[in-house]
Amino acid sequence: MPADIILEMKEIEIQFPGVKALDKVNFTLRKGEVHSLLGENGAGKSTLIKCLTGVNHKDAGQIILDGKEINPTSPQQAMELGISTVFQEINLCPNLTVAENIFIGRQPMKRGAIDWKTINRRADELMERFHLDIDVTRPLSFYSTAIQQMVSIARAVDVKAKILILDEPTSSLDDHEVQLLFEVMRDLRAEGMGIIFITHFLDQVYEISDRMTILRNGHLIGSYGIGDLNKVQLVTEMIGKDIDVIFNLKRADVKPDAPYMLEAEHIGVPGKVKDISVNLKEGELLGFAGLLGSGRTETAEMLFGAEKVSQGTIKKKGTKINLSNPHAAIMEKIAFCPEDRKVDGIIGDLSIRENIMLAVQARRGFLHPMSRSEQDKLAEKYIAALGIATPDAEKKISELSGGNQQKVILARWMATEPDVLILDEPTRGIDVGAKAEIQRLMLEMCKDGVSVVFISSELDEIIRCSNRIVIMRDRQKVAEVDGATCTQQDILNIIAEGAAAQKTEEAGV
Amino acid sequence: MKKKGFDLSALTRSKITWAVVAEVLILLVCFIIRPDFFSISIQPTTGVLYGSLIDIVSRSAEITIIAMGMTLAIALGGTDLSVGALVAVSGAMSLKLMRWDVLEYVTPGDYSVKPFWMAILFPLITCTLMGLFNGFLISKGGMQPFIATLILMVSGRGIAQILTDGKQFTTMYSPFRVIGQGNLGPIPMPIVIMAVVCIGMGLFVRKTAFGTFVESVGVNRSASRLSGISADAVIMIVYSLTGFLSGIAGLIYSSRIMSNDSNNAGINYEMDAILAVVIGGTAMTGGKFSLVGTLIGSLIIRTIVTFVYYFGIVAEATMAFKALIIAVVIILQSEPVREYFARRSERRASLKKS
Repeated sequence: MPADIILEMKEIEIQFPGVKALDKVNFTLRKGEVHSLLGENGAGKSTLIKCLTGVNHKDAGQIILDGKEINPTSPQQAMELGISTVFQEINLCPNLTVAENIFIGRQPMKRGAIDWKTINRRADELMERFHLDIDVTRPLSFYSTAIQQMVSIARAVDVKAKILILDEPTSSLDDHEVQLLFEVMRDLRAEGMGIIFITHFLDQVYEISDRMTILRNGHLIGSYGIGDLNKVQLVTEMIGKDIDVIFNLKRADVKPDAPYMLEAEHIGVPGKVKDISVNLKEGELLGFAGLLGSGRTETAEMLFGAEKVSQGTIKKKGTKINLSNPHAAIMEKIAFCPEDRKVDGIIGDLSIRENIMLAVQARRGFLHPMSRSEQDKLAEKYIAALGIATPDAEKKISELSGGNQQKVILARWMATEPDVLILDEPTRGIDVGAKAEIQRLMLEMCKDGVSVVFISSELDEIIRCSNRIVIMRDRQKVAEVDGATCTQQDILNIIAEGAAAQKTEEAGV
Repeated sequence: MKKKGFDLSALTRSKITWAVVAEVLILLVCFIIRPDFFSISIQPTTGVLYGSLIDIVSRSAEITIIAMGMTLAIALGGTDLSVGALVAVSGAMSLKLMRWDVLEYVTPGDYSVKPFWMAILFPLITCTLMGLFNGFLISKGGMQPFIATLILMVSGRGIAQILTDGKQFTTMYSPFRVIGQGNLGPIPMPIVIMAVVCIGMGLFVRKTAFGTFVESVGVNRSASRLSGISADAVIMIVYSLTGFLSGIAGLIYSSRIMSNDSNNAGINYEMDAILAVVIGGTAMTGGKFSLVGTLIGSLIIRTIVTFVYYFGIVAEATMAFKALIIAVVIILQSEPVREYFARRSERRASLKKS
């Protein structure tokens, strides 16, 4: 084995009840490289990582770390062997300080007591290395998600790791923060650490990695140098289909004389968003573009009654409606897929069936229960229609992949047969294939006369699908452009203009 | 892909299975020591069923009834500590209404000063309202259920004392005696009431969508609200129900002793009820719940107590003995043990196949 190979996984096989999760997968990691692990949800990326970190046990194959065969049986053991993992969800304690979080479980002691001075000093040094200028004695929850993410990486790295696994570390970071993370990754790479990087952002793969390994349905497709495949080839390998077939989406046809489905006039909530007027025609897809915090989500919440409108009026099909809570909106056949799937979407311990029937049942009230056979039929219908990958409807939703969870939430709302469907970042954190499917579903619903509001941070998908695009900035609507004719640059310019204007304003003061 | 036939590993993974196993084991030990433990006979004078098993079920009525409500509170991710105090309030209020004349120091007799329906209905309404107060603090006030219900746990007994001027009343009123000591045909009345409550609750949570809503809110309140469920209403209904059921238990308790006893009525009931729920397989973190499991849990607790009395274990050791058996039951139900047996039966099944 060449000297610079730090980890070798050979012919790994893992059998789950009913499926072969990994089938003879090989994977090698060199010292001082960033190696991207790619594949759709359910391809086996997480399973491979869990096998390496001792969460799942392999049925066959070998793991060789630094020339020695290892069989980690728990994440702790893997960590002692030098394999550190940072998961997508932050596994830290928000109520403890940054320093405490870094040293929890391995606090330096002095005369039988915890040595706070050393903890804080070393935490400070560590943060400096990460180019973060923060107060380590503040509680973790004081800082943004990005910084929390950095802290969890700092913690992982400080445990003298040989291998660092980053599972979707960038999904909640903005561009600047991503760059900060990449700098740290480059430093670590220069120090000789092997980094396994899992992400759905293909641009980032090309920006930071040296090599990549592609999995599909538990099989190894291949390992490539970063220059060997271009993006289109990469996606084709990942999903096993030609990308054009998937992305051949047609914008919804809106008849010029189509009636208005929803009209919001000067709606706002003091301190949150002000004076927003939007309208939505039958069968139209209205995109919302804007940065995080621009007021997109608040506007969506107002249209759904999750945020009570205190100014302005909302009309549906010409009649004024009063949306005092989500239940009222559901009675008006308005549906809403919230931004944070984990916190506001899925009911983790309940089955797929129960998650799908929930909104329909809520509309009927608990005194008019759906029979079990009705529920089964509903669940089966949408599992088939949306291609939810599951052995049966009784599986807990928390056991599904992100893309499939999102489809279940979508099914929950499609089952209510809404007139208006509001989707807040429905494609975040899910893979290319599932993204395209969700876009296709949205457009199909438009064809059936449903009006869709689509919020996304990814401009290309907004432009690809929307009839009109509302651009938000600083909690206000600043422009509305035509989806068929505008370009990404147009939208970016409109968003940037405001930022520039604001800067000069600040400079003036 | 639904598995057909008998699935032993699924059975061994279920907490309820282990609760049943524990109950059977305890009963078996009773049987070995005293073979007549299982004998059930009819008392010739009253025509009522009589025997240790009947006694266990009958005496478990109060905890079982309360635990039915507690199951829902725990499924919501909360708990209700005030149930024991509400038992005292219910009894105090009922006795107060029946013995409105107590200041005249009339000796207790077979009468009720206020109409009997008042002595039954008012305590139940009061307890329901006190439960609603708990639910209001939790849902609208955003308080932790532990803290919110602690308020009435502490003050409830005080309220009971105020209601009765700190006195203990007794009554001889025979319709009241029926609740805790009477019978319907051969069946003791507490068992009848308990059966009605259990069946009623079962129908309420499973034949309507209420059970699903409770589980949904218990797992993720925010997502439930955004799915159109009025989470606040669900919480208030559940705590009102718990209050109402505590009221019923309070009537049974005070009918058994034909008196109110604000200091001792319902003492530690909250703990026994929580224990029954937990032994029954409902997790303290909320979510999926099982009323059948709770029923078994409550029976286990009562069986242990009867066991202790029955075999003349010294009074001082009673609590320790109870704790010991409960610890064994909980360990039997713990994740590693269940997983161990589940794997064993899986292995056996696969051996059989090959």
